This record gives sequence, structure tokens and C-alpha cells, in this order.
Amino acid sequence: MTGHRDIPVLETKRLQLRSPRAEDYPDFKATFASYRSRFMGGPLNGYEAWMLYAAEIGHWEIRGFGMWMVHLKDTGETVGMAGGWSPAKWPEREIAWIIWPDRAGKGYALEATHRVRRHFYEDKGWETAVSYLDPKNLDSIRLAERLGAKKDHDAPTVDGSDVVYRHPSPDALRGTQLSHGIDMEIAHYQDPLFKPKGWAID
Amino acid sequence: MTLDIPVIETDRLILRGPRESDFEAFAAFAASDRARFVGGPYPRLRAWGGFLATYGHWALRSYGMWMLEDRASGTTAGRVGFIFNESWDEPELGWHVYDPFEGTGIAYEAATAARAYGARHFGLDGVISYIDPENARSRALADRLGAIHERDGTVAGHPCHVYRHPVQEVA
Repeated sequence: MTGHRDIPVLETKRLQLRSPRAEDYPDFKATFASYRSRFMGGPLNGYEAWMLYAAEIGHWEIRGFGMWMVHLKDTGETVGMAGGWSPAKWPEREIAWIIWPDRAGKGYALEATHRVRRHFYEDKGWETAVSYLDPKNLDSIRLAERLGAKKDHDAPTVDGSDVVYRHPSPDALRGTQLSHGIDMEIAHYQDPLFKPKGWAID
Repeated sequence: MTLDIPVIETDRLILRGPRESDFEAFAAFAASDRARFVGGPYPRLRAWGGFLATYGHWALRSYGMWMLEDRASGTTAGRVGFIFNESWDEPELGWHVYDPFEGTGIAYEAATAARAYGARHFGLDGVISYIDPENARSRALADRLGAIHERDGTVAGHPCHVYRHPVQEVA
């Protein structure tokens, strides 16, 4: 079958990020049929999910970057997507992520998105990046903040219904307190030093 | 970038993979009243997704739709080829002709070439075409291509006629 030869595989301690393939589609469809996808244009029916998945692949073709499928190294299971997104005439290139509903809360989005951002900055020469977020999507806003992104009130939005978070510059992530903090948080998910019983009360 | 989409040449056309420079013509068609027969009109961002999906279809199915380039002018003239999206009964042969080229016979030229190529190289023979019952021009083209109205069906939730193309004589 026709495939993508040029899409790099990115790795972290727990994750392998690979190009979207036909065999990953059932996972993608299950997520986009669910309520969790409400901030990503869903829920979608089968046809709509198919068209979106095909578009994810097409984005790689036309832009040379796009969204990776995020797999667990241990089992190969797909847990979400992370990468870059840049539709025609959007104000700026976006860093985006989504984690499958039953895989949330394990730090996968943080670990994957931190890795793709490093790829865009160090391998692709990006000087800056934003994320366009739904102001009601508090999980994503929180993740943007954990990644060191800050709300950019002056940057143009896509259509006025989104908020723009600007990621720290490549320099701001090079051996800084910010980058150490992100690394520590990721390391904590990878190998928790402390496992509290029960739930945090805040 | 990475897909090997074949190129087909006809008297007046080059059938080739999409390029970003095709998008304005694609989006203009998608936004126009003529897109009502293909589920539109579509806002620009939906059109962008549909345009990207043209590539993705090739990656997922190993066949898909070609953009039509008018050999004389280099202009993007339409989109023709095979579509097998989720919820489709089977692969179909589809054709869209952009405004300035309507009525010039290029859809017949491109569909004939694509149909023959699909039979020879993709194992797609005797395929169907979904056509909106109100789309008289498209139905006339199906007739001219020798397709017959086999049954009524739906595509992406829209009622349509299902035409069946004749099996190709592949040498």
C-alpha cells in the first residue's frame, strides 16, 4: 500500500509517535464518535470521522508535518495524537493534541506534546508556535499551561471563538527552570515517586 | 511529499495528484451552488479538510481522485477518480468539473481514462457512481459512459441514484 516514507518516528520513555496508518483508524473513529471529541469538532459519524482521518494524513502530504499517532511502547496501543496543524490561511502554525478518553490522566499528552514541540523547534526550525483552544476546554488549557504556554491576547484567533496560547520560545526551553519543571513532571508520571491513596481533595 | 499518485494524460487533460495550488479552485467549487449535488455548499475550512482528504484517501486505499489539469492553460479543471469513504457500499467513480470547464466534455474524457486505469491497475471494474437524482448533467454523463441506473440508495445520508458502470475490456 502507498505509505509515508518520510514521517519521522519520535520516541519518549513511554511513547512512540508514528505516522497515521490505516490500521490506527478504528481507534481514531472510536474517539471521534465519543463525547470527548466535542472540543475537536465531534462527535462525528463514521463518514465524518473517515474524512477527518484522511485529512490528517493529507496534512502531512501538503505541509510536511502533521499529527502523529501516539502509541504506548509497551503494548503498541494507540492512546491519542499530537503534532502540528496548519490549515490554509490560519494565522499561525498550531501545536495540537488529543488523548483518547479512556487514556486520560496519565501524562501522555504532556509527554507527547513536549516531544513534538522539541522536534518542531530543534529539527524543523520553528521559532514559535501557538495552540488554538476552546475556552471551555479546561483540560487542554491546563495542559497548555503545564507546557509553559501563556495566553496571547494580541494574537489573531482562528474565528473568534477560540483562545490563543503561545508556547515558550526555543530559548526559553533550553536548560531553563521551565524546561526542568516540565521534565520533572513527565518523569513523575513515568515513575511516580509518591502514590497517594484516594483522591486529592482540591 | 511521499505518495506515489500515478499520472494519466489524455488529449486535453493531465490527471495528477493534488497540489496546494489546486485549493482555490477546489474551494470555489465547494462554496458554489453547484456543490449542492455533492453535499455542499461547504465553508472554507470544511473544503480544506475535504481537499486534504483527497490525499489521505490515496494513502488509506491506494487509489483515489485525481485533480484535472487543463493541458492548454495549466488551470485546475476538476477532480475525477475513485472514492471509497467509510459508509460507501463499494468504491465509486466520481467526477466534479469546475466552473469555466463545465460543458466542455472534459468530465467524459477524464472519467473514461480514470475508469480504464482503475480496471487495469486497481482491480476496480464495473464500479458504481452515486448521483443526486436532481443532477441532470451528471446523470446524462453516466448514460453517456454506458452506466445504468441500478437502484436507489443513500450516500453520506443523502438519497441518490446508484449507477453501475459496464465491465471494462482490459487487454
